[in-house]
Amino acid sequence: MNNIDTAGAHAGGVPAIRVVIVDDHAIFRSGLKADLDARVTVVGEAGTVEQAIAVIAQTRPEVVLLDVHLPGGLGGGGREVIAGSAALLSSTRFLALSVSDAAEDVVSVIRAGARGYVTKSISGTEITDAVLRVAGGDAVFSPRLAGFVLDAFGTAPADIADDELDRLSARELEVMRLIARGYSYKEVAKELFISIKTVETHVSAVLRKLQLSSRHELTKWAAERRLL
Amino acid sequence: MTTAISRPQLVRSSDRVIAGVCAGLAAHLGWPVRMVRIGMVVAALAGGAGLAFYAWLWIMVPTADENAKRNARRPASPIAPAVSAPGPLPVPADFVAATFPATPFPAGVTYPDGPTLPDGPAFPGSPTQGSPMQGAPVQGAPPWQPGPAPASGSVPGTATSPWFRLRRMPYGKEILLGAGLLLAGGILTARMLGLDVPLGTLIPAAAILGGAAIAWMQLDETRRAGLLDKTKADQAGGWARLGAGLALVVAGVLVMVSGSGSWEQTWLALLASVAVLGGVALVLLPWGLKFWRDLEAERAGRVRATERAEIAAHLHDSVLQTLALIQRRAGNEHDVVRLARAQERELRGWLYRDPGKEAGQLSERIKAAAAEVEDSLGNAVDVVSVGDTAMTERHEALVQASREAMVNASRHGGGTVSVYLEVADGGVEIFVKDRGPGFDPQSVPADRMGVRESIIGRMKRHGGTAVISSSADGTEVRLRLPSDAADNGEGKS
Repeated sequence: MNNIDTAGAHAGGVPAIRVVIVDDHAIFRSGLKADLDARVTVVGEAGTVEQAIAVIAQTRPEVVLLDVHLPGGLGGGGREVIAGSAALLSSTRFLALSVSDAAEDVVSVIRAGARGYVTKSISGTEITDAVLRVAGGDAVFSPRLAGFVLDAFGTAPADIADDELDRLSARELEVMRLIARGYSYKEVAKELFISIKTVETHVSAVLRKLQLSSRHELTKWAAERRLL
Repeated sequence: MTTAISRPQLVRSSDRVIAGVCAGLAAHLGWPVRMVRIGMVVAALAGGAGLAFYAWLWIMVPTADENAKRNARRPASPIAPAVSAPGPLPVPADFVAATFPATPFPAGVTYPDGPTLPDGPAFPGSPTQGSPMQGAPVQGAPPWQPGPAPASGSVPGTATSPWFRLRRMPYGKEILLGAGLLLAGGILTARMLGLDVPLGTLIPAAAILGGAAIAWMQLDETRRAGLLDKTKADQAGGWARLGAGLALVVAGVLVMVSGSGSWEQTWLALLASVAVLGGVALVLLPWGLKFWRDLEAERAGRVRATERAEIAAHLHDSVLQTLALIQRRAGNEHDVVRLARAQERELRGWLYRDPGKEAGQLSERIKAAAAEVEDSLGNAVDVVSVGDTAMTERHEALVQASREAMVNASRHGGGTVSVYLEVADGGVEIFVKDRGPGFDPQSVPADRMGVRESIIGRMKRHGGTAVISSSADGTEVRLRLPSDAADNGEGKS
């Protein structure tokens, strides 16, 4: 899917996904690099906002693993990196990676354009899976992010009259609930008797609503919310 | 005077006819309220003395609420009752008037060892003479006993040095005001008795003194509030007071200098002085601003330093200790993971906790239960919560049941446990999921209390339900507790 030569390993003939890791902790970067399996290859690293924007522009990775909190720039952290790489958003996808569980951080980086959010404590395999999913154009929701979405949009399904961007449909709510309960996409599909592809469609739709909804409560909610 | 300390504090009672003065006074003196009220009315008929006394107390004596606030703000000390009992009043009025020039005297009242103070030889009358307390306020309030008029001459000297003592004590304002009123009363009496009092110089002098006192009080209060603790209202009041003080001083000086001459002359002088003041202000303004800014910067720095110290202390007590432990237990993966998880949880709680969020919410309890299970069994328990509600007795049962479910999931699942809490209008739902090998809920032996009794039975007893579904992919326990309204309907059926 990429026409640039892939330097990394190949798994079953599928070219490895090219990834840039942006995190201000060198220890964490090297640890993550060691954890990621052969399906991805790390083509660049950055520790600050400026470095990140430069490295991303130069290497044009498919996926950027992006820490929410970064030094440098105007203090915007991960959001600023995404904004600075706006021209590449069609080809480069961002997966937010954070130790912060604060809704404010998570929601702001998602609304800036990240395709998903995972916590740093998940395993290398899980991160690799998430990277592949994001590279494939899907959204990655952790249980906690699903919880935030449910909290922000409310747990009541949308009426027809509602602005569709401001509420979740009944099906989307079901999917979000299951993800919040710790279900994988596969398990969600099994539980709801739908295909994994449909689950991914629902999740992407929710992501779009989360990013585009002008619902004023959303930002306010995230800013006010300082929960664990 | 020692008895004064054991008396109930003089505050305006909430049980009141007009302002609670009489009731408060009665409580303070231990007299019947009715008597105090009748006495007050009688005194009011006697040339309005009672009215003046009543008004005086109304202004000077705080209400019980105000008093509590005041005491909360200042360190509690035995001096408060002694002073709030009309401080200088217990002693005969002439004694107060005589000692006014030496203002340090009231300060003596404020010290815990006050009783020993008045034995100074400088005081003409022994303060212990007569009954120091009984009825003293009544006879003390109308200060129409010939006070020494020349007091005005010595006041400027006393206004400076004792002031610094004064301002450290509570009620300094009240005492100062009382002394001023006593002085005025003395002067009036002197005039009535035919003595010639040079009012022309006395009034401007009094104005200057009063203005200076007001302005200084202002400075003192702002300093006490840390110069920057600016509630808007406070500040406005402060500026008003400062302005009033300044105006008084300027007017006093003007009248004194211009010899209380024609209005026109005064007006001209006023204009000139305002112009001069304006010029001086213009010159000093940059310097003042710089000073102010330095002060703010220093203060901000201090706040930062305090914050940093607090963070350092917390990190030292928690994170550094845990890191040391982890190094020592590096061989034991299980312990290391458990330590790291526990520390992470603690730090997260400290960093992201919302101080405004009230404690005792359901989500908090669920998280606490998860933390407990995590600590005791070592497997991570992730809690995601949507919505929240205050704890009730029924929720307590829910917490217990979900805790039991978490224990089972952690023990038998052997991996990360996901807990999802959703609070909606209809009720509370909790899902506890693990990725263990699963089991057949039907095959659980009847004697196994865990699932049957602690989870299913408990939920049923409180009007809820518990469903356990298990497969090879893991087990999920779903607990549902309908809200009270829904429960009432169900419970009765």
